[in-house]
Amino acid sequence: MNSSISEKASLPQRNEFWKLVFPWVLTALFLLFLPVIFASNSALTIMNQMAITIIFALAYNMLLGQGGMLSFGHAVYMGVGGFMCVHVMNYVEINSAPLSLPFLPIFGGLFGLGLATLVGTFSTRSAGTVFAMISLGVGELIAACSLIIVAFFGGEEGVSADRTYMRPFFEIEFFTQIEVYYLTSVWLLISALLMYLFSRTPIGRMANAVRDNPERAEFLGYSARWVRYYSFCASGFFCGIAGALFAINFEILTEENLNLATSGSILLVTFLGGVGVFFGPIIGAVLFTLLQTVLGLYTELWQLYLGALFLATVMFFPQGFAGVLVSHAPAARNGRLGSLFIPYVKMAAPSAVCLWSVAGLAELLFHARHAALGEEEMVYFGINMLSTSVIPWTVFGGLAVISFGICRKVAPSVLEAWDKAITPKGMAQ
Amino acid sequence: MSAALKLEGLTKSFGKTAVIMGVDLEIAKGERHAIIGPNGAGKSTLFNLITGRFPQSSGAVYLHGRNLLGLAPYQINRLGLSRSFQITNIFPRMSVFENVRCALLWSKGYKYSFWHMVGRARDLSEGAEAILEDINLIERRDAPAGMLSYAEQRALEIGITIAGGADVIMLDEPTAGMSHSETEYIVGLIRKVSENKTLVMVEHDMGVVFGLADRISVLVYGEIIATGTPEEVRANPKVQEAYLGTALEAEH
Repeated sequence: MNSSISEKASLPQRNEFWKLVFPWVLTALFLLFLPVIFASNSALTIMNQMAITIIFALAYNMLLGQGGMLSFGHAVYMGVGGFMCVHVMNYVEINSAPLSLPFLPIFGGLFGLGLATLVGTFSTRSAGTVFAMISLGVGELIAACSLIIVAFFGGEEGVSADRTYMRPFFEIEFFTQIEVYYLTSVWLLISALLMYLFSRTPIGRMANAVRDNPERAEFLGYSARWVRYYSFCASGFFCGIAGALFAINFEILTEENLNLATSGSILLVTFLGGVGVFFGPIIGAVLFTLLQTVLGLYTELWQLYLGALFLATVMFFPQGFAGVLVSHAPAARNGRLGSLFIPYVKMAAPSAVCLWSVAGLAELLFHARHAALGEEEMVYFGINMLSTSVIPWTVFGGLAVISFGICRKVAPSVLEAWDKAITPKGMAQ
Repeated sequence: MSAALKLEGLTKSFGKTAVIMGVDLEIAKGERHAIIGPNGAGKSTLFNLITGRFPQSSGAVYLHGRNLLGLAPYQINRLGLSRSFQITNIFPRMSVFENVRCALLWSKGYKYSFWHMVGRARDLSEGAEAILEDINLIERRDAPAGMLSYAEQRALEIGITIAGGADVIMLDEPTAGMSHSETEYIVGLIRKVSENKTLVMVEHDMGVVFGLADRISVLVYGEIIATGTPEEVRANPKVQEAYLGTALEAEH
């Protein structure tokens, strides 16, 4: 009987191996060739920022998604890792110590880990509200320290360094943005892979178990507290790496890297992407960085839209974007994914018009209230309009109402198509 | 032969309310022991005291001669005592296979390892498969545990309880809320998995108790009023008066 099990297992195991390796090879190639398409310096900066946010969000999700711990002050682990790295860079510059830039993230990771091992001793005693409150307290405490301990945190100006004074790495001195991009990408790949592998280890599996049912885990020989503690430390390590990469990219860290706004936004990023799936936070981080940087160029109201998106996610798709993607798996298995295309287009068109016109109303209102006195003309998607005139208000209002009406009319048929798509073929009525 | 589990003057009070009032009990190695008693007699509390879920007020619990005072549940589990719960207590969001595999991790020596890949560990996957085979859930291997039927969840609960290879197994009302055929399935399962092990169980179903147990203790208002073989307990007038009379008549 044993031999029959192992025979059955050997073939899927080989498939499993490729299933594991293939996405990572693909990602590496993708990261390698991405700068060919997006070659401008500003695009590279945005991509670096994305990579940093991805590492941070994945590390955060080690707690939130994998371990069931809601942290409200996680910026400090990334921030402290980053601050330490700035000081390391300055130390290397002054003492010409033998350290080159690509190894700096190891230091960031170790400092993040160090802080987490300290804080974790008392914060991981229980999950839930207690953990959330302690994380909030510690976060606020360290953020407040940044204005008090000026020698380390640099007060309001923060601390800065110059990455190019580190030892050259095979003649590379990291003057150009593209060099920094590849450094960041390599670390992104390493960190993401390690975090993925962590979730497959005994401690990573038990983190899931403790999240689901800490009491049961205790009766299986595991201390829920120590399981939480180890997850917390691992998360701190990868946050520190993200902090180091931030220090390398921006060469300056300030109070902003520690404060509650940053802690809050990483929660938002992670939730937006989806906490239940490993790659969820990646989607969240990409989306968030795009919204922040690109949308931020066009409108001052980007935070309003981001907030609305977050609210909509929490209310209608609590599993986040990744959760929505994964929920299509049954339809794909049934070979009915194609049947969803037309209903989705039918739904997307009026929704887009609705969003466009509601955003138009918001922009009109903002312009009417905040533009300089006497300035009436504004531009929205290339259309010139007067914010004081009745016409744009009526058009946007009318479009919003009509398109919303169409959405509501279409919705039942989309739901029906969905139900049909996820029902296995044999079981259809 | 030394006792697998020994209770000495065990008491528990919640505030002024005494729930367990001095329980002395010895359960031999390899014995199947059932604890019965009317509702509110303190059976589940006794279970929780033995497994370290609550601290006792006084008295002592010995597992293979070792005093368990002050040990946390996970430490007691590592000494070889495993329990199930009256209310199904599994990991609902993980697959059936993962539930069992998690239950194997500690006993297979993986502890808090972050350098092993559980997917590549043959001892874990084969061990988990074998247990799934034992509890008849191999077909449901990849289903989320929360999606199983009630009886299947109870079977999984037993699977998780025995997976770690503990030699003292405590089952809290394993057949509660089950239909007749489901009960038969679970009883067969318990008989199979408790071979060569010490079994302590709380049970309401007298058919199950008299079919499975070597010895029975009757707990009434926090005190054990009788302990003995099923025949002795059945014949004990104190037991009949306190509790068993009606149930026994219903049996025959």
